[in-house]
Amino acid sequence: MSGESRVPGGQRLRGAVQAASLILFLWLLVTARQSPGAKPPSFSGFFFWIDPLILVATFLAAHAAPLLLFSAFATIFVTLVAGRVFCGWICPFGALHSAVGWACDRIWPKGRKREHWSGWQRAKYYVLAGFLAMSVLGSHWVTVFDPIVLLYRSATTALLPGLQWAVEESSTAVFNWDAKPGPLKPSAVTEPCRKFLREHLFAVDSQSFIGSGFVLVVFVGLLAANAFRRRWWCRYACPTGALLGLLSIRPLLRRALAESKCTKCDLCSGNCHGNAADGDGSGWRASECFVCLNCTSACRRNSLAFEWALPWRREPVVTSVGLSRRAMIMSAVGGVCALWFFRSSPRASSKRLGYQSRGLVFEPSLIRPPGARAEREFIQRCIACGLCMKVCPTGGLQPCVFEAGLEGLWTPRLVPQLGHCAYECNLCGQVCPTEAIAPLKLEEKKKFRLGLAAFDTTHCIPHAYGRDCMVCEECCPVPEKAIYFIETRIATRGGEQRTVKLPHVDADLCIGCGVCENVCPLRGNPGIRVTNANESRNPANQPILPER
Amino acid sequence: MQRLSRREFLAHSAAAAGAFAFGVQPGSQLKAAEASGPADMAIARWQGTGTPDEKQFKELSIKLTERAIDALGGMKRFVGRGAVVWIKPNIAFERKPEFAATTNPDVVATLVRLCLDAGAKTVRVGDNPVHDARRTYPASGIAEAVEKLGAEVVYLDRARTREMKVDGERLKMHPVFPEMVECDLMINVPIVKHHGLARATMCMKNYMGVVENRRVFHQDIATCVADITRFMKPRICVLDATRVLLRNGPTGGKIEDVDVQMQVAAGIDPVALDAWGAERLGVKPNEIGTITKGQEFGLGKMDYRTLSLREVAVV
Repeated sequence: MSGESRVPGGQRLRGAVQAASLILFLWLLVTARQSPGAKPPSFSGFFFWIDPLILVATFLAAHAAPLLLFSAFATIFVTLVAGRVFCGWICPFGALHSAVGWACDRIWPKGRKREHWSGWQRAKYYVLAGFLAMSVLGSHWVTVFDPIVLLYRSATTALLPGLQWAVEESSTAVFNWDAKPGPLKPSAVTEPCRKFLREHLFAVDSQSFIGSGFVLVVFVGLLAANAFRRRWWCRYACPTGALLGLLSIRPLLRRALAESKCTKCDLCSGNCHGNAADGDGSGWRASECFVCLNCTSACRRNSLAFEWALPWRREPVVTSVGLSRRAMIMSAVGGVCALWFFRSSPRASSKRLGYQSRGLVFEPSLIRPPGARAEREFIQRCIACGLCMKVCPTGGLQPCVFEAGLEGLWTPRLVPQLGHCAYECNLCGQVCPTEAIAPLKLEEKKKFRLGLAAFDTTHCIPHAYGRDCMVCEECCPVPEKAIYFIETRIATRGGEQRTVKLPHVDADLCIGCGVCENVCPLRGNPGIRVTNANESRNPANQPILPER
Repeated sequence: MQRLSRREFLAHSAAAAGAFAFGVQPGSQLKAAEASGPADMAIARWQGTGTPDEKQFKELSIKLTERAIDALGGMKRFVGRGAVVWIKPNIAFERKPEFAATTNPDVVATLVRLCLDAGAKTVRVGDNPVHDARRTYPASGIAEAVEKLGAEVVYLDRARTREMKVDGERLKMHPVFPEMVECDLMINVPIVKHHGLARATMCMKNYMGVVENRRVFHQDIATCVADITRFMKPRICVLDATRVLLRNGPTGGKIEDVDVQMQVAAGIDPVALDAWGAERLGVKPNEIGTITKGQEFGLGKMDYRTLSLREVAVV
């Protein structure tokens, strides 16, 4: 047994790696955007690829996964060897929790209670069991709470748009103020800053997301939980942490305690990130240890060290987390029951592929991105990470709230009034880490029907008010124009005849990109709307028979 | 209305007299007018037959633009030393140049070079596109072509428009991009395109890229476009008919709808240029509302042949 005693500066090294990981995460997040003439980097989904929970959940649900997701085997290997190093060193959400915990320690230096192993830490394993049972039945819900996904979604849909709003509003206020209190106009400083941020940080002019407040509340709540228990999320709730915990029941790298030197001073456990041990330093649970190296650094008597041991060795001792088989089974059953509940709505049941479903009631506003698989398969794969929403150049991809049922929470849909599907763009399919949106070639994507546009003649300007308009026809990107007009003689109020160009939709040509709805002068209540009728991905929802 | 200065008036009279005296027919080179001062409009045509290949197309586009501006009296006629020039092409939609939905990038780039050669301090190129500028500028090839020559590509900021007094028949106050109005000279460089509602989009309609809130324009497009054109006081327009979009405009997207005509016209009268452009599309100028409205507003003359016109053949 070759002893690896205290790593000199190990704690600092870990902090530096965490910071680097968080910075890499943020860089990938910020660069996943539309900039003139350039595509986002092809490795924007890096953190999703190395997350084993995404691989496991996608494989359980869809029985297939894109090749890149198998990069997660690197994480699995590291975990089998050295325990939850991913949690302690790599995970950007863990890094953020570390930072918030560190800040809490500075704010309330004496208020901190000595925290030790708690049986409640088993909760995350039971939660994982329930979620994975749902995955087996084809639901992606476990990844709604995956830490990488959670952080990515929160930053994309809530934090960045919030920052953008603040920058836009404040700089516009300064710009409109237009005063010159000193030698320099304030707007001479704020305007270049604003320009820089618009060009290098924000994706789309004033991007915002439906229901982002709820995402923000969850995110802030989880960070705030650090004030109650340091790294509360990582210790008690994180499903990825639980999966890695199961993999590190008997790792090769273990914490050894020299009991002869130990005075049971509690410095090691008191500084422990994962609450892996009891108060006296004994009872080290490998599944809970993040290998943060705080214990070896804290110990004044050098009685702790990380050592390599073969799996069948008894020493150094590893204490079991003590999961109950009965509770695991009950959790799985609970997950299945929850899924029944999720799917018991008439709309949710309509997500089945083809005609064999119970109720075929389609939510008309559920317009999925181009290349999206049939709804059932889509739900099996979509992890609701928000990467497609981040790269969408028009900002039209929005998180679902209830449009896809509870099961489809935060999965993407196109909201044409906020942004249309750009004809020459296929970015969402290119970046999707699980290929829930298939990576279509541009030529294939141009033929992929998202839905169908329909005029509402009760208020469409030419139809209802007898004036020419045709903004929709002007912008229709289909080369042969899916919107056409017929010059029609109408009578005006005074009885005279007038010729008006009345627009119509060609159902054979319309791809449902939604630009017509987006540009309609009747904002908020457009005279033309797109629904998901005729969508390519769903043969059961193609009510219009082609003419040719 | 473009007011004629005394010098211009004398020059025009001399040109007209000269043309009369020498009995020049349209279609031949107007040597007489060349001798007697600046023209109102110039048309450069390629004399070749068939469709030029890619390399030849590029060279011809440059040559046609140069000759048209030359025939108009050279860029120095419009650009003073140290001037700030805004070149306003049509980059409204995300399409590659061969689909003729956006102005030919070589025509735009040539104008940039001519402006800089004439002594312009800064040349800015930009439009307020329908699609996101971050997608239309690179797709059109214009961003790359003009940046190479030292022009500034401007991504306009919709939150920084200013309400300005347009004082037109329809538009009284309207949000306008101030940087496009506050330059010393705007060169309007549209492409000749079919348009479902307005029948054609050329010089006058290209001024819609100077303003915001234009969706309501469509209910009376002729008056709104004429209002904006009058507000912009056009001094020079260059109409690109190297490629012409005959159908399914203004977005296009089908190569069969594009007609390669290899012509560039330049002039000081947007109505005359639009009338000439309408003929490129096979439409009578008086059938197009913006043109008749423009003439009614006194923005120019629909019958461009009565102007001092120069036609240049390019081989």
